Amino acid sequence: MMLRPTLEDHKVVGFYTGRIIIGVGALMVLPLSTSLLFAEWKTAIDFATGLLACLAAGFGLQALCLTHQELRRRHGLVIVSTSWVLATVLGAIPFYLSGYFGSYLDAIFDVMSGLTTTGLFLLQDLDHVPNGLNMWRFVLTFAGGQGIIVIALTALFKGVGGGIYHLYSGEGKEDRLLPNVIQTARTIWVVSLGWLLAGTAALTVSALALGQEPVRALLHGLWVFMGAFSTGGFAPQSYNTMWYHSLVFEILCVIIFVAGSLNFAVHWAVWTGSRAELRRNVELRSFAVTLGIFSLITAIGLARSGLYTDALPFVRKTLYLVLSGHTTTGFGTIYARSLVTQWGPLPMLGIIGAMIIGASSCSTAGGIKGIRVAIISKSFLQDVRRALSPESSVITSRYHHVKDRMLADDTVRTVLMITIAFLTMHAIITVAGVMAGYPVLEAGFDGVSAASNTGLSCGLTAPSMPDFLKVVYVLAMWLGRMEFLAVFALFGWIWSVVRGR
Amino acid sequence: MKRSLFMLLIVAVCAGFSSAAAAADVSSTVLIEEPAVWDGRVVTFTGEAVGEAMVRGDEVWLHLNDDAYAGGSIASGALPQGYNSGLAVVVDAEDARVVTVFGDYRHQGDVVEVSGVFNAACPEHGGDMDVHATGIRVVREGAVLDHAPGTSSFVLLGIAFAAAVTAVGAYLIRRPRD
Ligand SMILES: [Zn+2]
Repeated sequence: MMLRPTLEDHKVVGFYTGRIIIGVGALMVLPLSTSLLFAEWKTAIDFATGLLACLAAGFGLQALCLTHQELRRRHGLVIVSTSWVLATVLGAIPFYLSGYFGSYLDAIFDVMSGLTTTGLFLLQDLDHVPNGLNMWRFVLTFAGGQGIIVIALTALFKGVGGGIYHLYSGEGKEDRLLPNVIQTARTIWVVSLGWLLAGTAALTVSALALGQEPVRALLHGLWVFMGAFSTGGFAPQSYNTMWYHSLVFEILCVIIFVAGSLNFAVHWAVWTGSRAELRRNVELRSFAVTLGIFSLITAIGLARSGLYTDALPFVRKTLYLVLSGHTTTGFGTIYARSLVTQWGPLPMLGIIGAMIIGASSCSTAGGIKGIRVAIISKSFLQDVRRALSPESSVITSRYHHVKDRMLADDTVRTVLMITIAFLTMHAIITVAGVMAGYPVLEAGFDGVSAASNTGLSCGLTAPSMPDFLKVVYVLAMWLGRMEFLAVFALFGWIWSVVRGR
Repeated sequence: MKRSLFMLLIVAVCAGFSSAAAAADVSSTVLIEEPAVWDGRVVTFTGEAVGEAMVRGDEVWLHLNDDAYAGGSIASGALPQGYNSGLAVVVDAEDARVVTVFGDYRHQGDVVEVSGVFNAACPEHGGDMDVHATGIRVVREGAVLDHAPGTSSFVLLGIAFAAAVTAVGAYLIRRPRD
C-alpha cells in the first residue's frame, strides 16, 4: 500500500530538489566563463539568464519547502527524478535563447541527451556555434556521466548523514566504493579528474599534430575527452570524430570511451593496485564475449558489402563503430546516413545488438549492461546443471565482481525484471518510430540508440522529426539512464497523491 | 515523408543529368545518399569552408558545407533550417592556401568550389568518404560576423535577476538561524 505523501513529505522533496538545482546552476558558470573569455557577449548573457533562473528556482524551492523532517528512503528516488526534470527544463534555457534550436522541445531534447550521456542532438548549424554554447553541451554530458546527484553530493552536502545514500543509489550508481557515500562520490571525481587531465592532454597534443591551432586543439581535446569519457557522443563539429581523419586520434578516443564504460569500482580496484580485477571481473568477461559476437556480425555484413577493400580501413571502421555502440558512446567516423546507404542491414543489426547490451554497470554507460547479461547466462546454465544432477545435490554458481559472489535467486529476479523492462522499451520505441512513418530498421536503430543512451544515428533523428517522437525519445533516454526505478517512483508518488490513503 | 520523396526526386534528377557531364556538379546530400553511383567519378562540389584547414605534410583536409548555412549561418542571424551537411576534401597544401576564411561563430567561411575524384570509402584515407580535389577556387569571400546582444536578451536577464534576488531574499529570511 502506498501512503499519500503528507505536506511535510512534499517539502522534503522540494527542499532537496532546490539544493540540487543550485548545483546544476553552478555548472553554468563554466560555459558562462568560456563565453566571457572568448568575448561572446550574447552567449554570456544567455548563460547568465539561465544561471539566475536556476538560482531563483533553487532558492525559491528551498524557501517554500523549509522543513526539519529528515530525508528518508521514500523521498530519495522522487528527489532524483524531480531534480532531473527541473535540471532538464532549466538547462534548456541558454540553449533555447541561443537561437540554434527549432523549439524549446528541441532544446530539452539536447539537455536530456547530454545529461543521460546519449549524444543524439537537434541543435542546428553546429559548425557555427559559439564556444560557450559548445562548452555547455560537454559540461552537460560530463556532469551527466558523473551523475548530477553525485556532483551535488560532493559540492553541497558537507557532512550530511546516511539519508543521502537514498539519493545516490537512484542514479544507478549503487556500488559503494567506500563506506561513506560522500567519500564514494568524491572518489569517483578523483578518478574522473585524473582521466580528464591525461585524456585531454593526449587528445590536445594529437590535435595539434593533426593541424589544429593551439586554442582550437585544446578546446577540441577537452571536448572530445568529455564526450568520450562520459560515453556521451557529442563532438564539437557536425562531422563528429570523422573531422580528424586520424588513426591515432581514433585509438585515443577508443581508449577513453572504453575507460569511461568501465565500472567505477573496477577503476577504483585498479587505481588501488589490484590489476587482476581487469582479468577476473565478470562484467568485463561478458563485454569481451558480446563484443566478439557483435563485431563478427558487423564484419560479416561489411565484408559482403565489399565497401572496404583494404584490411586496415575495414578493421578500423568496424571496431570503432561497434565499440562506440557497445560502450554506448555514439562517436562515429562515417556519416549517419552511411549506415543505411553503405553499411546495410546486417552491420546495423550488429550495432543494434551491441547497443542493447551496453557496457558496465555503475559507469557512465547505458544499456542492459554486462553484469545483467552475465547473471542471466550464469543462472540459465545453473538451471541446466540442476536439471541434469541428482535431486539431492546442491548446485550453486559464483561470479566475480570486485569480490566473489554467490548467485542468489532474488538477484536473478531483479536482473530479469530490469532486462525485460529494457527490451520492452526497445520494442515500444521501435514501434513508435514505425508509427511516425520510418522504415523498421531505421526506427529500431535510432530508437535503441536513444533508449540505450548511445547516440549513434542512421539519419532518422533530425530537427524535422515529429514532435511526438522527440517526446518518446526524451522519455526513453531518461528511463534508460535511470534504469526505470526512479522515474516510476515519481509516477507512483504522483499517483499516490491522487489515489493514496 | 513528403520531404524524403522530394529528396529522392532530386537524387534521381541529378543522377540522370549528371551521367552525361564529365565533372558533375553535385551536393553532399546526393553523394551521401547515392555513394555507389558516384564512387570514383570526377565531381564538382561547392561549399563553405568551416573550422580550419588541417595540414598533413603536403596534403590538407578541408571541410566544405553545402547546407542552408553556406550563405548565412545562424550566427549571422539566419533561422535554423536543419543540420549541417558537407564533405571532407583532400587538397594539395599549396593549392589550399587560396582559402583564408573558415566558418565558425565569428566567421562566414569562404565558399569554395573544388573538382576531383569522389571516394565513397577512400582506401588511402582510412576508409573515409572524401573528394581528392585537383582544382580549387574561391567562389565567394568569407566575412567577419558581428554579434551585438539585442534588447530582449537584456530584458530576460533583468527578469531572471529580479526573480533570483527575490528567491535568495526569501530563503535568507526564512532560514533558521543557529
Ligand atoms: Zn582519400
